[in-house]
Amino acid sequence: MNVRGRRVWAVIEKEWAETARNRGIVWMMALVPAILVLVVLGTNYGILRAGAGGQDLSGMDISIPKFLAHLPQAEAITVTMNEQFFFYLLLIPITLPVYIAAYTIIGEKETRTLEPLLAAPVSTGELLFAKGFAAAAPAVVINWIAFVIVIAGIAVISPPAVLHFAVRDAWIFGMLLFSPLLALLSVLTGVLVSSRVNDPRTAQQITSLFVMPLILMSVLVLMGKVFLTLELVLFAAMITLVADALILLLAVRVFQRETILTRWK
Amino acid sequence: MRSDPARPLAPDQARHWWCLYGPGRSANNAALAALFAWVVTAPLNKTPRLPLSRVRINARMIRAKGLSKRFPAFGKGSHETLAVDSIDVEVQPGEVFGLLGPNGAGKTTMVRMLCALIAPTAGEAWVNGFQLGLQNDEIRASIGVLTESPGLYRKLDAVTNLSFFAKLYGVADISGQVNKYLQMLGLWESRHQLAGSFSKGMRQKLAIARALLHEPPLVFLDEPTASLDPEAARVVRDFIDEMRGQGRTIVLCTHNLDEADRLCDRIGLIKQRFICVDSPGRLRARLYGTRVRVRLESLTPAHLAAVQRLAFVKEAAAEDRVLSIRLEDPDRNNPELIRTLVGVGASVQYVEEESAPLESVYFDLMGREGQPENQEVPS
Repeated sequence: MNVRGRRVWAVIEKEWAETARNRGIVWMMALVPAILVLVVLGTNYGILRAGAGGQDLSGMDISIPKFLAHLPQAEAITVTMNEQFFFYLLLIPITLPVYIAAYTIIGEKETRTLEPLLAAPVSTGELLFAKGFAAAAPAVVINWIAFVIVIAGIAVISPPAVLHFAVRDAWIFGMLLFSPLLALLSVLTGVLVSSRVNDPRTAQQITSLFVMPLILMSVLVLMGKVFLTLELVLFAAMITLVADALILLLAVRVFQRETILTRWK
Repeated sequence: MRSDPARPLAPDQARHWWCLYGPGRSANNAALAALFAWVVTAPLNKTPRLPLSRVRINARMIRAKGLSKRFPAFGKGSHETLAVDSIDVEVQPGEVFGLLGPNGAGKTTMVRMLCALIAPTAGEAWVNGFQLGLQNDEIRASIGVLTESPGLYRKLDAVTNLSFFAKLYGVADISGQVNKYLQMLGLWESRHQLAGSFSKGMRQKLAIARALLHEPPLVFLDEPTASLDPEAARVVRDFIDEMRGQGRTIVLCTHNLDEADRLCDRIGLIKQRFICVDSPGRLRARLYGTRVRVRLESLTPAHLAAVQRLAFVKEAAAEDRVLSIRLEDPDRNNPELIRTLVGVGASVQYVEEESAPLESVYFDLMGREGQPENQEVPS
């Protein structure tokens, strides 16, 4: 590993070591995906069981896309709902780490560890990237684990048609590629905000606004207006990658060591 | 009894499976790190850095010319502040240079500028041979800094705190250096305790260890004994003395006059600008001249009169059996003084230099500056 890599990795390790000491954050990061896993599997089981029992599910008032019309009603509803749940799963790494990221610079200032850190030969880019990565990575990994459990559960309790839609490439790439990039984008925004405001609560409130457009997207999925395809996921991932780079550059540009050291009290 | 720092670490020291730090971290962690570095880190920094091995002891460790810092006004009711005004200074290798001044005098601002943490608004400086502003990364890599507050990660243990900074500074033998300084500063037994559980003195020692891990030839210590109890302060002062013995150059910011007197080769009295820079002894001499005290077996008015007649005696006073005499140059004048006293029948018991405490020098010099005291500037 080169010198820069070692420095970035050192910051990441330190961040993780501190996070690991804070059991509350670790449990919070695992709790939401765990609940979603239970909800997805419970819903799958419930709907499919009701369908198998000959129950009419049209009362659920779910807008089923045309290309699912060939499926039995219960399976079509399950697939439609899974689409929405998976979208939530995709968004989980955006919401929780952003709170960690929002605290990352201000937290160091509050505990007076920022000055020795800034006095060390670590560049602003290395520092901000490492902090962003460290905040996003655990949530992404937990999310992947949750996705694997969901898929395994669906394989056990659902018919092959439902599993087919769950493991289609749009979701695989979405989870492996789009979700981490989106998570990185949100945490870098958090780090950026964290380095510009001098109060953790303000940072967290501003950063939480970032999640709003994504909630809008999830509503569109819920309304059946958007159905994720591989092309859409790859396009979104590409855009997000560019946005990640731009946000990192912007964060480095607006990070003012001097202001942080001399003005923040 | 102390444990051997080179001893292999026990498996039980890896207390959590997710703990990527300290003694329990594993080979898969390194593999992950290598993969990570390959993928993401190359474009993050444009400035190439010199390895520490290329950092040399320079003819002058610090050279500053006209270094100034003016903080702009921010917010309503604030005004522009001149924190440091046209500082010229040179610090030689192996020297302990003290920055002495009241609160708000610009000591910390000066240190932050020289550590490339904040940019000067005027002037130029070279630190360890690297130019401030152009080679900031090299400056940071080649110096050690003890900041005003220890700034330790309270939820991490001592080893982890030090290992983290050792990695940032590119230390080759991380565990060797960490163990060496933990032992040297008497923290070996507490190495796996969280820094948050340390006493103030232990925290300060850990912060000093952090500043020295990469063996910098130049160390900045910003009020290293502030808020320490006398015992802890003495340990820290002894260690600073030891660092001087190792040939390190030290810039010591302090309020503590006694500390400056004992540790510093030269002292810069600062209040926005340098009021004077000199050795503690010469500062006293400049202000008070040089006094000697001569104790006699018995003192008579004739003895005092004989002394007062000498041309090089600027001032003489008698108290009990002791003559307090201010001379032009004690080294040159003392033999003649003693001969004169013996000539008028005095029995000289001893002669000693009478030094003014540095505190008197400090207040005298600070008092001569007609600037307002304790002007607040951003620290």
